[in-house]
Amino acid sequence: MSIEKGRISGSQLLFMFAGFVQGSALLVDFTIGITEQQSWMVILAGLVMMVPFILSYAALAKRFHGKNLVQINDMVYGRFLGKVLSLYYIFFLSMTLSFNILDVGELYKNFLMPDTPFIFLLAVFAAACAYAVAKGIEVLARVSHLFVITGIFVIVSTFILLIDQMDFSNFLPLFELPLIRIIQGIHILSAIPYGETLVFFMIMGRLNNTERAAGYALGGLLIGAMNLLAVSVRNTAVLGRTQSIWTSASFQSIRLIDIGTVLTRMDFLIGIAQTILIFFKCSLFFYALATALSQLFGLKSYLPLILPLAGIEVILAATVFQSPVDHAVITQNAGIIYSSPLIYVFSPLTLLIAKIRSLPGHERGGGT
Amino acid sequence: MRKKKGVTIAVIVLCVFMVFALSGCLGGREINDLEIVIGMGVDKDEKTGNILLTAQIVKEQAVGRSSGGSGGGGDEKAFWNVSSTGESIFEAVRQLTHKTGNRLFVSHNQAVIFGNDIASEGLQKYIDFFLRAHEMRPTVLILMAEGRASDVMDAKPDTEKFPAMNIAKLVKTYGYTSHLYKVNMKDFSECLMCSEKASFAPLITVSDNEGSKDVFVPGMAVFKNGKMVGKLGHGEVRGVLWVLGKVKSGVITVPSPDGGGKAILEIIEAKSKAIPEIIDGKIIIHVMVEVELSLSEQTTAENLATVPAFGKIQDASEEVVRKEIMAAFKKTSELKADIFGFSEMLYKKYSKEWKSMKDNWDDIYPTIELDIDVASRVVTTNLLRNPASPKEGEK
Repeated sequence: MSIEKGRISGSQLLFMFAGFVQGSALLVDFTIGITEQQSWMVILAGLVMMVPFILSYAALAKRFHGKNLVQINDMVYGRFLGKVLSLYYIFFLSMTLSFNILDVGELYKNFLMPDTPFIFLLAVFAAACAYAVAKGIEVLARVSHLFVITGIFVIVSTFILLIDQMDFSNFLPLFELPLIRIIQGIHILSAIPYGETLVFFMIMGRLNNTERAAGYALGGLLIGAMNLLAVSVRNTAVLGRTQSIWTSASFQSIRLIDIGTVLTRMDFLIGIAQTILIFFKCSLFFYALATALSQLFGLKSYLPLILPLAGIEVILAATVFQSPVDHAVITQNAGIIYSSPLIYVFSPLTLLIAKIRSLPGHERGGGT
Repeated sequence: MRKKKGVTIAVIVLCVFMVFALSGCLGGREINDLEIVIGMGVDKDEKTGNILLTAQIVKEQAVGRSSGGSGGGGDEKAFWNVSSTGESIFEAVRQLTHKTGNRLFVSHNQAVIFGNDIASEGLQKYIDFFLRAHEMRPTVLILMAEGRASDVMDAKPDTEKFPAMNIAKLVKTYGYTSHLYKVNMKDFSECLMCSEKASFAPLITVSDNEGSKDVFVPGMAVFKNGKMVGKLGHGEVRGVLWVLGKVKSGVITVPSPDGGGKAILEIIEAKSKAIPEIIDGKIIIHVMVEVELSLSEQTTAENLATVPAFGKIQDASEEVVRKEIMAAFKKTSELKADIFGFSEMLYKKYSKEWKSMKDNWDDIYPTIELDIDVASRVVTTNLLRNPASPKEGEK
C-alpha cells in the first residue's frame, strides 16, 4: 500500500536535491569558526565523502522500487526492529525540521523583521510549508527548478557585485589549520547540508524510473555543493578574517555591496533567496516526516497529520533552544552526533543486509 | 460540499488576517517620527569620564524650507547636534531619546568620529556597538578627530548643509590626491582582529579661517591593537598606499630636466605588488610599483614632450615614489606599527617561519629590508604638444 500516488521524474529529483542542499547555504557558517579560510576545502571534502552514501540511497531506491524508508526498514530489519529504526529516522526528521524552521525565524528576527513576534514568524512559515506538503510531492517537484534558478541567480549576482571587494589572498595559508579541525568541519558539513539528504529516502520511492537515480541524485548534490562553495568563497574573499565574528557571514558580505552609492542595501536578495530555499528544504522535510509517520501508523493518507505536525514543529522550534547561541552549539555538536548513525551507518548497512538476504525478492517470496 | 465551503471561508479569513500581519507594518515607523542620524561623534565626558555621544540629526522641516527656496529660514541649520552621556555607547544612544523624543534611526549614518581622548585610550571597547547594531551599516566611515569629535561635527561648511555629509565627502574623494584613505567599520574591525598588523583611519581637524570653521584631513592616525600610537602626514600616507596598491590618482612634482622649472604629473593609474622573501633569516620585501602618468602642467619654457625629457621626468618621478615609500616605512618603524601588513604577507607565505617571528614582531619589523622597484611611464601630455612659449630659434 502506498500513501502517496504522486510520481516524480529523474530530472525533478536532480533539482530537488540541488534546491535542498542550496537551502543550507546559511548553515555553512557553522564551520567558519572552526575551519576559517579553509572552509571551501571542507565543502568539497564533505561532498566527496558523502558520494558513497548518496549512492547507497540510490541503490536502495533502485532495489526497493516504489517503497519508502519505513517499508524498507520493515522488510530488511523485521517488523519490530524496523519500526524502532523508523522511529529513529522520524525523530531525526522531526528535530531537524524544527531546527530549520528556527533558522528561518532567526533569519527574520535578526535581519529582516526584528520587531515581529518570533512565534508568529515560525507559525506563518510552518503554515506555508504545510500548504505545500498538502499539495503533494509532485507539486514541489514541478517547481523545484524555479527554486534552484532563483538561488543560483542570487549567489551569482551577489558574487559579481562584490568582486571588486574580494581579496583572494584571504584563502592563504592553504594548509595551516590542525587536521582535527578540518575533520570536525568535514563532519559538520557532511552531516548537515549533505547528510540531511536522508529525507530523499522517503521521496526516491516516488521516482517513476530508478535506473538512473544515482546519476540524478549526484548531479543535484553537485549543483547544490557548487552553490555552497560559491557562497563560502564569496564570504571568505570579502570578509577575510572577520568572517567568523558575524552572526551571518553571507548577510554581512551582501551588506558591503556599494556600487556607486546607488546599488546598496541588497540584503533583501539574501532574504528572498534564503526564504525560498529554506521553504523548499523544510517542505521536503515536512513531507518526509508526514509520510513516514503515516506509513508507520498504517494510515491511508498523510494529509490528516499535516496540521498537528506543523503545530508540534512550531512549538519545538520555539521552545527547544534557550538562545541562538544554544542553537548553534547544540546543532554543531549534539546535532551531528545523533544524525551520524543514520547518515553513515544505517543506509550502507540496510543495503548490505538487503543484498545478503536477497531482498526484496526473498521478502516477497516469504509471503509478507 | 458544506465542508469544502467551510475550508474556503477559513482560507479567505486566514488570507485577510495575513494581509494585515505580514504587510511589514508591525513596528513600522513613520518618517516624521524618525530621528535620522547622519553622523555620530564619540568623546569622553570631561567631568564624569563617561562616554559623550553626539548625534547629528537631520531637521526635515529645515531641509524642506531651504530646498524649496521659500526663504525665511536661510540661516537656520538643517541639522541638530544632540549629545548625551552614558557608561556605554548603547546607553548613551538610548539616553538621547530623553532629548529627541524618538529612537534614533542610524541606517543613514555616514561617519563615526572618535575624539582624540577615545583614540588614545583604544577603540576596542567602543567599536562593538557600531558593528553589532541592526541598523548600522558596515560601510560607515570611521575617522579620528585631532581634538573633540563634537567640535568637528559642529563645523558647517558653506556649500554643504550637513557637516557629517561634508566629512564623508572629504574622505570618499581621497582618490584625487591619495593623501588619505577611506576606512570603514568592516576594514577597521579586520585590523582589530590582528594583533601584529596596525591599522589607520583618517584624521580630521577644524581650522579657524577668518571666523568660519573649516574641516580638513591632515593625514591618518595609526593604531596598534586598537590604540592610536601616531600620525602619518600626507606624503607618508601615499607611501603606504603605493605599497598597498590603493593609489588612485594624485600629483607628483619633479624638477624639469633643464632645472628652470617644474614638471607636474598626474597619476593616471598605479599598480603594485609586494612579495616577502626570507633569505638567511633576513626578511626582504620586494615592492614593485608601476605608475602611468600624464604631464598635466609645466612651469618651464622647455619643451618636455621629448623622449630624453620624458626619460628624465620618469626617473625623477620614480625617485619621488621611492622616497615616499621609504618615508612611510621609516615613520612606521619608529612607531613599530606594521601598517603595510607585512606580518600578514609573511603569515600567508611563510606560515611555519611566522610562528617564530610572531612574538617578536615589533622588534623584527624595523629590521625589514625593502627592495623597491618603481617603473613609471608618462603616457600623455594632455591637450598640449609644446608649451605656449617662443620656439628655440625665435627667442
